[in-house]
Amino acid sequence: MNHFVWLVKREFWENRAIWIVPAVIGGVLTLAALFGRVDIEYMPSPDHTRAIGGVVLFAFGFTFFAVMNLYSTWYLLDCLYADRKDRSILFWKSLPISDTWTVLAKLFTGLIAIPVVYFLAADVTTLLIAFIASVRAHPTVGDSLWQPDLWAQLQALWLYLIVTTAIWYLPFTAYLMVISAWARRAVVLWSLVPPLALCLLERWFFGTSRAGALLEHRAFGYLAAAFHRPVYADASTAVVSGARGFMTLDSVWRLLDPLEFVTRPATWIGVVVGSALILVAIQLRLRRTEI
Amino acid sequence: MSSPTTALITARDLTKKYGGHIALDRATFSVGTGRIVGLIGPNGAGKTSALRAILGLTSYEGHLRVLGREPFADRAAVMADASFIADVAVLPSWLRVDDAIDFVAGIHPRFRRDRANALLAQTQITGRRRMRELSKGMKTQVHLALTMAIDARLIVLDEPTLGLDILARRAFYDALVNDYMNESRTILITTHQVEEVENLLTDVIFIDRGRIVLDTSLDDIASRYAAVTVTEAQLGAARAFKPFYERRTLGRTVLYFERSEFEGPPFEQLDDFGEVLTPSVSDLFVAKLSGTSG
Repeated sequence: MNHFVWLVKREFWENRAIWIVPAVIGGVLTLAALFGRVDIEYMPSPDHTRAIGGVVLFAFGFTFFAVMNLYSTWYLLDCLYADRKDRSILFWKSLPISDTWTVLAKLFTGLIAIPVVYFLAADVTTLLIAFIASVRAHPTVGDSLWQPDLWAQLQALWLYLIVTTAIWYLPFTAYLMVISAWARRAVVLWSLVPPLALCLLERWFFGTSRAGALLEHRAFGYLAAAFHRPVYADASTAVVSGARGFMTLDSVWRLLDPLEFVTRPATWIGVVVGSALILVAIQLRLRRTEI
Repeated sequence: MSSPTTALITARDLTKKYGGHIALDRATFSVGTGRIVGLIGPNGAGKTSALRAILGLTSYEGHLRVLGREPFADRAAVMADASFIADVAVLPSWLRVDDAIDFVAGIHPRFRRDRANALLAQTQITGRRRMRELSKGMKTQVHLALTMAIDARLIVLDEPTLGLDILARRAFYDALVNDYMNESRTILITTHQVEEVENLLTDVIFIDRGRIVLDTSLDDIASRYAAVTVTEAQLGAARAFKPFYERRTLGRTVLYFERSEFEGPPFEQLDDFGEVLTPSVSDLFVAKLSGTSG
């Protein structure tokens, strides 16, 4: 266990962007709140300010979440490739740590550690901004952001997202690690080739597109698997309806659908496929020492 | 060589193929406890393949045991009792010196932090520096400090002093012999600068084109091999005793004899032909490899 902590620490040393990127986003947003215009001239009803507060908090959280997903993808593609490229793998392999633990520590970093860092950064940022707004702006504006129930809902939403996306997207995560452990160069390009080739070959030879449909279902089926209908009923109004949804405490609870998530076979098929790919990544790590 | 019971490394018919290329061809050798063994061969001879197999970095065919374990299946366990520096300094550029010490201290049960600090105190290197800010020589010094601070039973050094200047090299080998080496330690070292290590080796393994050409202790070299400087007049007579290699320098000819192939009078009578010397490791290396390849 102690080894695992060191391995994760090492990931944070190597990939300083894990905390620098969210710190920069938080810094920029905080600066904008400090020096930008935070007041609104038109004062709507308290109910509306509440809704606006919900949208603002949600938007901040979403910004972090979106950047986090981009960064995690890059991290996973790079994590088993970088030390083969610079040959430092020879140093890491001179230490009594098994390749299994190494791969699992990197998986943990990508799936849990990075999302938690962004989650904390989002929280600190929104707290700072709410504080700044309540000092600089009209009391109604400030009050709109100080809503304990909104905060509680955002925390719940974040934690639910971290856990469910980690499970649902495990096949993609593990696939990226396989490419990272296997490719000799151009990991990004290589990560795209197999799925594209699979879809094209299937179309040419069988005239079908089941592989594409499977990938599509995995990529876009998450919302349907983990959330109740209102969020995904109409993408263009999702944010608005989401904002309304945040108006009362029970609304987020009504959006989350953990029961559906854990009872869907697709969830567990994904876990099985993902675990198998993790085993492949471990084997590759064992065998591919240098580029 | 030492008896099999104290052998730290045993290889039997160790073979490594890369596609059609055979890097190691049924290599059989052993390394005994407390020895300092030089694995010596020209570039591309299979030195690195042998080391990679011993260190569990690559799969292979044949029998191989290191510290009683099968290294590829059990690398982490082997590395708890072994340490190695492979090739040039390969510490990652983003790593800080003191983070590296913390990490190895946290991971390695046999790491002695005070020793690493003492070794680094002799250099110009400060803890907060990242590897990318250090010169090649400094990086090697950090890597050596990390490795030498591990109380390993087996230490494997692959061209350890590459990139170091002559003073640092001498200091390294002095430290290796005086401070690090004791009867419970075993060192396996490869280098193409044979002259630099031949005074500290107890054993040599010569490897050429994937095959083990010679596996012997330095003590045995004295009784098994002789280099005789022969005058022109005696050359014909001396040649009759089948030297396996000849070298001509400045009008003199040095003939190399091996006891097992020696035919004629007792080995000791070779001094009838001229001055008899025990060949140095580097001379024997050249003689062996040139001799066997015709």
